[in-house]
Amino acid sequence: MTLTEQEVLRYSRHIILPEIGGRGQVRIKESVVLVAGLGAAGSAAALYLAAAGVGRMTLWDPANVTLPDFTSSIAHIRAHIGRNRAESARTKLLGINPDTAVTVSTDPDALAALVPAHQIVVATAGDWKAIQEAALRSGTAVVFAGVHEAEGAVFSYRPGEPCLGCIDPAVAAQAGLQPEGADGAGRVVSAAGGVIGTAAATEALKLIVGIGSPLTGRVMCYDGWTARFREVRVTRRPDCPVCARD
Amino acid sequence: MEAYFTPAEQERLARSSVLVVGCGGLGSPVAYELTAAGVGRIGLCDADRVDLSNLQRQILHDAADVGRLKVESGLSKLSALRPEIHVDLHPVNLTRENALELFSQYDLILDCSDNFATRYLVNDACVLARRPQVHGSIFRFDGQVTTFIPGQGPCYRCIYPSPPPPEAVPSCAEAGVIGVLPGFIGSLMAMEALKVLTGRGAALVGRLLVYNGLDMDVAEVQVRRNPDCPVCGDHPTIHELIDYEQFCRGVGR
Repeated sequence: MTLTEQEVLRYSRHIILPEIGGRGQVRIKESVVLVAGLGAAGSAAALYLAAAGVGRMTLWDPANVTLPDFTSSIAHIRAHIGRNRAESARTKLLGINPDTAVTVSTDPDALAALVPAHQIVVATAGDWKAIQEAALRSGTAVVFAGVHEAEGAVFSYRPGEPCLGCIDPAVAAQAGLQPEGADGAGRVVSAAGGVIGTAAATEALKLIVGIGSPLTGRVMCYDGWTARFREVRVTRRPDCPVCARD
Repeated sequence: MEAYFTPAEQERLARSSVLVVGCGGLGSPVAYELTAAGVGRIGLCDADRVDLSNLQRQILHDAADVGRLKVESGLSKLSALRPEIHVDLHPVNLTRENALELFSQYDLILDCSDNFATRYLVNDACVLARRPQVHGSIFRFDGQVTTFIPGQGPCYRCIYPSPPPPEAVPSCAEAGVIGVLPGFIGSLMAMEALKVLTGRGAALVGRLLVYNGLDMDVAEVQVRRNPDCPVCGDHPTIHELIDYEQFCRGVGR
């Protein structure tokens, strides 16, 4: 795959970075990313991944756009109220980047089955355990990003590295690493959703291009009210209920 | 409907106004997220038009907006997100002639600019007009965020008394920038603005966040007010806005 003349102009700020370059931009163009959940964090992640030039994206979300979504998510417009959230976000993504091929899934039971066809999953909602199990089987990388009120956390999984199951559930909950919307929509501060969603998109791009140190083996936690970040270390658990047999 | 802010905080946001200086990479998430959170009035200040190379990071603008004024493109997006938002359009460059008048119309200023001359101008005007300022900057994979509140901590000049030599400052076009970086830094800035406007939480006053996206590392640096600062110090020598282009060229320093 190569870049068109238009794409070279469009992505010039990426291409000029030695860490990305033309080769990295082609990798981004060739990448296939699944975004699970189009709430606060998922919206921000999806918009930035499309803008960055991800070639193919699948947006999964069974929920419809409701009034509280507008207080926290930036990928929806008021005119889309009542429409499916993935459908609504797709319109927005295509406005930013008409070259991204965006597929939508609204089936609540389809999420785990979607995982193998993707290189990266950005998981902000849905059944995270099922995503992790499917990713373990298919060798897909996953960026887990959870946000609640003004706090959130991001954690990356790559085959062979600690998985979500290696984190004690109590530790994950304390770190804020849990799917958004478990407690209902509208409980996320827009800007905190943006911080967590863009951190997740950054991780996805690093994993696609193969640069930097991703958040594998560590959970990054953010508290918006104090603007403090902290890190929780994660190691592979020999008795992990998900990856121990791997 | 269960909202996160208390009714009193939501009311404070609805009555508040912010000025976004620069509607590019940092201004995009700032404008979107403050609109979503319920800020009453947003001023967009930018004289530029949307360029194809902006779209990789400036999510306020669509592919169909190339060639359009950024502030007009911004207005259509913010109104679509929340039709009740009041958006003021300032399709001008911020200058020493218009800055104080402009800043006096807003409760808080967000510096989303991309050059040192504007940063010093925003800073001095905020100190002189006694306006809180949220500052953000980005470079390649790195970024910084802090909040300046006159009388409560340092100002930009306390941390950076003089601009770097012009030849040491490559632009975004020369150095490149990963597209999602301004999304992260801009979102941190929007969170800062929400704290200052609602009075809740602890803003980054006297604290500078330094972010490295490749390592995904965020460090906090304590920063102090400089009593000898020429604009916010005990005996200020700057009482009116100066020529910032000249200042950043190193003339008259």
